[in-house]
Amino acid sequence: MLLSVNDLKKRYGSHTAMEGLTLQIEENQCVALLGPNGSGKTTTLNMLAGLLSPTSGTIAFMGKEKIDRREIGYLPQYPAFFPWMTAMEYLQFAGKLSHMPKNGLRQTCSDMLEFVGLAEAGNRKIGGFSGGMKQRLGLAQAMLHDPKLLILDEPVSALDPAGRRDVLEMMMKLKKRMAILFSTHVLHDAEQVCDDIVMLKDGHVKWSGPLEELKNGRKDETFILTTEEALPEWVGEKEYILEYVSVTPKTAELTLRHLKERNLLLRDCMENDLAIVRFERKNHTLEDAYMEVVNQ
Amino acid sequence: MRTLWVLMLKEWQEAWRDRKLIWLPVVITLLAVSQPITQYYMPEILDMAGNLPEGAVIEIPVPSGEEVLAGTLSQLGLMGTAIFVLSIMGSIAHERNNGALTLVMARPVQPLHYIASKWAANAVILLLSFGIAYGLSYYYTNLLFNEVEAKRFFGSLAVYSIWILFTLAVTLLGGVFFRKVGGIAGASLVAVSVLSLCGSLFPKFMGWSPSNSLSQASHFLMTGKWEDSFGLMLGSSFVLLACLFVFTVLKFSRYESY
Repeated sequence: MLLSVNDLKKRYGSHTAMEGLTLQIEENQCVALLGPNGSGKTTTLNMLAGLLSPTSGTIAFMGKEKIDRREIGYLPQYPAFFPWMTAMEYLQFAGKLSHMPKNGLRQTCSDMLEFVGLAEAGNRKIGGFSGGMKQRLGLAQAMLHDPKLLILDEPVSALDPAGRRDVLEMMMKLKKRMAILFSTHVLHDAEQVCDDIVMLKDGHVKWSGPLEELKNGRKDETFILTTEEALPEWVGEKEYILEYVSVTPKTAELTLRHLKERNLLLRDCMENDLAIVRFERKNHTLEDAYMEVVNQ
Repeated sequence: MRTLWVLMLKEWQEAWRDRKLIWLPVVITLLAVSQPITQYYMPEILDMAGNLPEGAVIEIPVPSGEEVLAGTLSQLGLMGTAIFVLSIMGSIAHERNNGALTLVMARPVQPLHYIASKWAANAVILLLSFGIAYGLSYYYTNLLFNEVEAKRFFGSLAVYSIWILFTLAVTLLGGVFFRKVGGIAGASLVAVSVLSLCGSLFPKFMGWSPSNSLSQASHFLMTGKWEDSFGLMLGSSFVLLACLFVFTVLKFSRYESY
């Protein structure tokens, strides 16, 4: 077990930012922290990065009670640097602070700039960087020393679609080498890269487990039917249809009594000469699952 | 140890990039050198600007070189201290406010490393500026007035440095308490000037105060001997500096978040 968190709490005066987080991360596992704004994601990540001391609870990292910052890479939501340094200088500075050997540091840093797509801007002052470039540099400094655990706070929220795709691809590559824990409220991104998710709300863990389980656990027999003509009324009155919701005159969401009975429905449609445009099982997205868990 | 060195190098690099390493010595030097030069040309200046009636005779006793150097120190005591405070007030607060501190502290850096690097790097910059300024003033004094013993020059230089280090310690302590540079500068200047005012109002009871180093330095320049309270001042100043440093580190390590 790489990281094992037990009953972590954080209070600010009477306000509770995090109420009892228990979490386990194995090597090379990718975990997403989901939750609405103010649910305690950043607080949690700051505590795990060793930047914020918890009110109570324990964090065991690599078998020790103390967080070894050499093995953690951290990217805050709004990474800030020294504006007078160049990107290359900053990475070298960061590398030295993480006790990286002097030999080959320069090469590692320029490889890293290449990896995050800043090769051209390496010798420019950070003060002139755009938000997206800073985010990339932030990612570079977080993974520079090849940490065991990468902690990313909203790594893609501030990026444009292209930058977002780039960063997600980088995360896909990185998760083969290190464990990643990241927070996001963009569910689509979480779905793309992570294996497990932890959902937070108001400082409580609402749900945690493998992503697949969350999606599978909510499968039911809802289908979407769209026809060329307006749907006649008899469709909703069939005995094998439990629920009938008309979305538009030509589209309806139907819940069947039994999965097998979808063919009955199709046969009835054909017999009544309805031209089927679309017939599919309603795919539960992470978003539906998320809304369901959060609104519980 | 290496962490400390890396952080110190970063401070010097920053001071070089934003030209602090140039303007600070230049400003302090101008301030210091103006003393022997204006003293030397005082009769001419009065003559030119004084609007004195025709035939007025100005007789100003020529000051000794020692007096001129003591004048330099008191000149620096006022303006120099203010400039030193202003030059280092943002050193911690700025990095904290813009968030760069977070990424430094996310690495294996201890609060002690961080504060010690600020301390040491800025001490070098301030003392270097003072050394250059005072040295040039010494040069002009020797040139324009009488030769001052080198021993007196170095002695006063060393003792005056205590006051500069004290200013630095107070400003860095202010820097971990306040987030606004205005607050830091205000608090540090008030603390430093209250101490120095008390020093001149109640010299009998303030022998321990670091502000005593100012009068010790001038006294040594004039007489070549230390005042009685020298040992007390030296001891208490070092204890005070150490306490301020420890207090700064403790306050910094108790931040809820960096």
